[in-house]
Amino acid sequence: MKTEVHALEVHDLTVTYHKKPVLYGIDLAVPTGNLVGVVGPNGAGKSTLIKSIMGVVPMASGWAEAFGQPVNDVLGRIGYVPQRESVDWDFPVTVMDVAMMGTFGRLGPFRRAGASERARAEEALERVGMLPFAKRQIGSLSGGQQQRVFLARALAQDSDLYFMDEPFAGVDAATESAIIELLKELREQGKTVLVVHHDLQSARDYFDMLILLNMRVVAFGKTEDVFTTELLQKTYGGRLTILAEMAEQAAKVPLEKIHKDHS
Amino acid sequence: MFGALQTALLASLFLGLSCGLIGSYVVVRRMSLFGDTMSHAVFPGVVLGFFLQDEKNPYFILGCALLAGILGALMSGSLQRTTRLKQDASLGVVLVTFFAFGVGLHSLSPQTGVSSYLYGQIAAITDSDLLMMGGVSLLIVCAVALLRRPFYVASFDPGFARNLSYPVKVLDSIFAFLLAAAVVVSMQAVGVVLVSAMLITPAATAYLLTDRFSKMMMLSVGFSILAGMIGCLWSYQQLKTPTGPAIAISAAALFGLAFLFAPQYGVLAKYLRRRQQVRQIRRENTLQSLYRIKEQRSDGKRAVTLSELAQYRRRSPSHVLPELFSLKKVGLIESLSGRDVWQLTMNGEQRAAELIRNHRLWELYLINEADYQTDHVHDDAEKMEHVLKGDLLEALEKQLDFPTADPHGMPIPDPAKTSVLLREGGQK
Amino acid sequence: MYFMLGLGGFLAALPCSQVGTFLVIRRMSLVGDAMSHSVLPGIVLGFLISKSLSSPWLILGAGLAGFVTTVLIELIHQKSRIKQDAAIGVVFTTLFAFGVLLISRVSDKVDLDTDCVLHGDLEHLVQSDLVSFFSVSIPAPLLSLFVVALMVVGIVTLFYRVLFVVSFDTALASSLRYRPILSHYLLMALTSFVVVAAFQVVGAILVVSLLILPGATASLCAVRLPKVLLIAALHSLLSSVGGVCLAVWTDMNTGASIVLFGAFLFMLAWGFGPLDGLLWQQIRRRRKEA
Repeated sequence: MKTEVHALEVHDLTVTYHKKPVLYGIDLAVPTGNLVGVVGPNGAGKSTLIKSIMGVVPMASGWAEAFGQPVNDVLGRIGYVPQRESVDWDFPVTVMDVAMMGTFGRLGPFRRAGASERARAEEALERVGMLPFAKRQIGSLSGGQQQRVFLARALAQDSDLYFMDEPFAGVDAATESAIIELLKELREQGKTVLVVHHDLQSARDYFDMLILLNMRVVAFGKTEDVFTTELLQKTYGGRLTILAEMAEQAAKVPLEKIHKDHS
Repeated sequence: MFGALQTALLASLFLGLSCGLIGSYVVVRRMSLFGDTMSHAVFPGVVLGFFLQDEKNPYFILGCALLAGILGALMSGSLQRTTRLKQDASLGVVLVTFFAFGVGLHSLSPQTGVSSYLYGQIAAITDSDLLMMGGVSLLIVCAVALLRRPFYVASFDPGFARNLSYPVKVLDSIFAFLLAAAVVVSMQAVGVVLVSAMLITPAATAYLLTDRFSKMMMLSVGFSILAGMIGCLWSYQQLKTPTGPAIAISAAALFGLAFLFAPQYGVLAKYLRRRQQVRQIRRENTLQSLYRIKEQRSDGKRAVTLSELAQYRRRSPSHVLPELFSLKKVGLIESLSGRDVWQLTMNGEQRAAELIRNHRLWELYLINEADYQTDHVHDDAEKMEHVLKGDLLEALEKQLDFPTADPHGMPIPDPAKTSVLLREGGQK
Repeated sequence: MYFMLGLGGFLAALPCSQVGTFLVIRRMSLVGDAMSHSVLPGIVLGFLISKSLSSPWLILGAGLAGFVTTVLIELIHQKSRIKQDAAIGVVFTTLFAFGVLLISRVSDKVDLDTDCVLHGDLEHLVQSDLVSFFSVSIPAPLLSLFVVALMVVGIVTLFYRVLFVVSFDTALASSLRYRPILSHYLLMALTSFVVVAAFQVVGAILVVSLLILPGATASLCAVRLPKVLLIAALHSLLSSVGGVCLAVWTDMNTGASIVLFGAFLFMLAWGFGPLDGLLWQQIRRRRKEA
């Protein structure tokens, strides 16, 4: 038995969007049981990192593994909280419906949800304090409440690895501290949580480890090790214009094709 | 007054002017569904126009149709404001409600003239129809000419239009009115169901051919007129052929041609460009291999055999040979003995040095500036070497402070010096 | 007879309402519009092969046309700079024009009437040969409508979760590996399927109303998708019954009157619906002012 299995391992991950590079050659190995913040300037590809690992956006190259297996094979152990912007708030769903979605991963596309799933969804809503709103339409809630509901959906997934895309965006202070308490609770249970976060100051207090991201991984390690002026300056000191422009140029040329029959 | 052929040509002209101009806006503003909705929404107006008057009166029908179109636009706008329905559903509801109203009304008291409005019939167009069409299309042309700038800005960037204190809402209403007018002009020739084709297809064709909006409008008008004429003549030749579908298919054929053969954005042009690039990269890889083989040797011999090269590139000789010949054609390499022994020319040496330099500069950049691992960079440089040039290359050299060795300790060649050395070596 | 008319309308409208609701909540009404136009050449080709308006060839032909539509739209949209809405516009008008052209070519050789295909002819359907089904004798086309309705409702129920999650949150759906692209094609296939079944009742142009109106009405009435689907089904029932009554009363084309009654129901929901009803909005505003 291998004892040192990483919760998440990413190798040479590259993502392009409209032929523009967003992520370039990402290598990561995240040990289990950590609260990991993904920080970097706007447009650094933080959300894209999570989306590409989860298969929401396609990878141009590279691979990602969770618990030593391809992400595809262990989806049941991975929970995902997407950015709230991607959701149509007029959609006919209630708070309970959204929480129930968390149980779909285990159920697969066809099996019916039973009492135990319902109980799990209710418990998850309870934990974020949203059970009283169970029957409300999702669009009628405040931003913070909406975020709690999506968190409840992730809790109902009962996963070992969580990806959360900007869970604190547009959220009031009370909700923010409630969420962070919850995340710490998850870590105590031995779960691994990756959180995309845009506020550098609070990142230092919230997370055990930090991924400093700006199109590539500038640094990854324990918060106290990487939260240095030098590394932060490197991360936030503008994009590596040459890298960005070159990658953009390269994406316009059919290099992959050659490359494949080359090797 | 007008003969059959003249009617066809004039109708095509009016249709082309109004649909071509308005359609350009419809395409760039992504309002296809709005165009389709308006074209269906005027139908009950047409039926009512027939219904209320004993004799076909083009101006009365025009009035009713415009009224119905405006009502439709108002209703969809109000639906979007007051309900949770999105734009598409609001327009869809208006489309089906109005059209069903027209069909129902028509079935109550069928008027013979109506069906020519549904699928278009050029033969049913009378002189007074033509006069009306001419008048309305003139109105559209004038309005578009007059409001060209505000329309242009509001289409591209409504926020900026508001910034310039253009009355965006009024402009949108005027546009909806003009759209309804364009539908009215063209519905006798193409029919209400297919007016969408005339609004979208010619403008989309033009969009494939130019990057400038003013030119796009011109082209779009041109394509509309052309499609109108082809369709009209076609349906004259074979009387059974309804005019509307004939025009729509002509427009689609023009679109298909542009889609395949447009010089910049056509599928064929893109394919050829891509193939060109692939070949170029293959050639450059062969060129570099010749350089690297030579570099690895200690004796400084420059000639490389075919089998050596094939082995180095892990390819069969027959695979490498065509690339060698095309390199020879452009004077980058020369053959010393038939197809077996090759050598870089002076130009070839220089180009290969450039590529190798790109490769090694990029490796250095990735490691020193972008914090990548040493084992990570070769594959990437393998791609970037083909892309690096011009300002970016200069910027890179400057940022790395004109290095002379790569991370693996290999020299970074300087093409300028290479050619000088080579020339001197040749003189000795 | 009237019962059969109402039943025929309902059997055609029900599957449309279920599929159409998903189109509406996914903001794909334009696609529904396009699909209902562009299956026309498929229907005509199917008819030319089978010489009957109620044969499986029509479904095959329309399925093929629907597939061609979807592929062509994607092709134009992806291989050129044309945006999706314009690509849809180009494709559906072309295919529809092609269909009308085909009809006009063959209409004097075979018994295929432009009016019947484009405006529907429910009476004709109901008057065709009776078949016995569990000792109930119903007109043959109604039986096939029934089978289609059963199949579509079955498929929607089976894939309910997939369609639901894909529509609400594509990111979650792809993280659950529900294959959003495949679901898109499923929805397109279902759309062309229900369109063929329903075009004989309301005509090829008005089919789109059976797709859009029930979903639009229902989204003004409920906040849970199962309820929305149920109300959409109810809308299709009421509009076929009401539509047939309206047609009998005014002697109007049945297809158009079914749609008009459906539009009337929509207006009711718009005016008095529990969610966005204009009446409640007005009352709320008054209360606020008071």
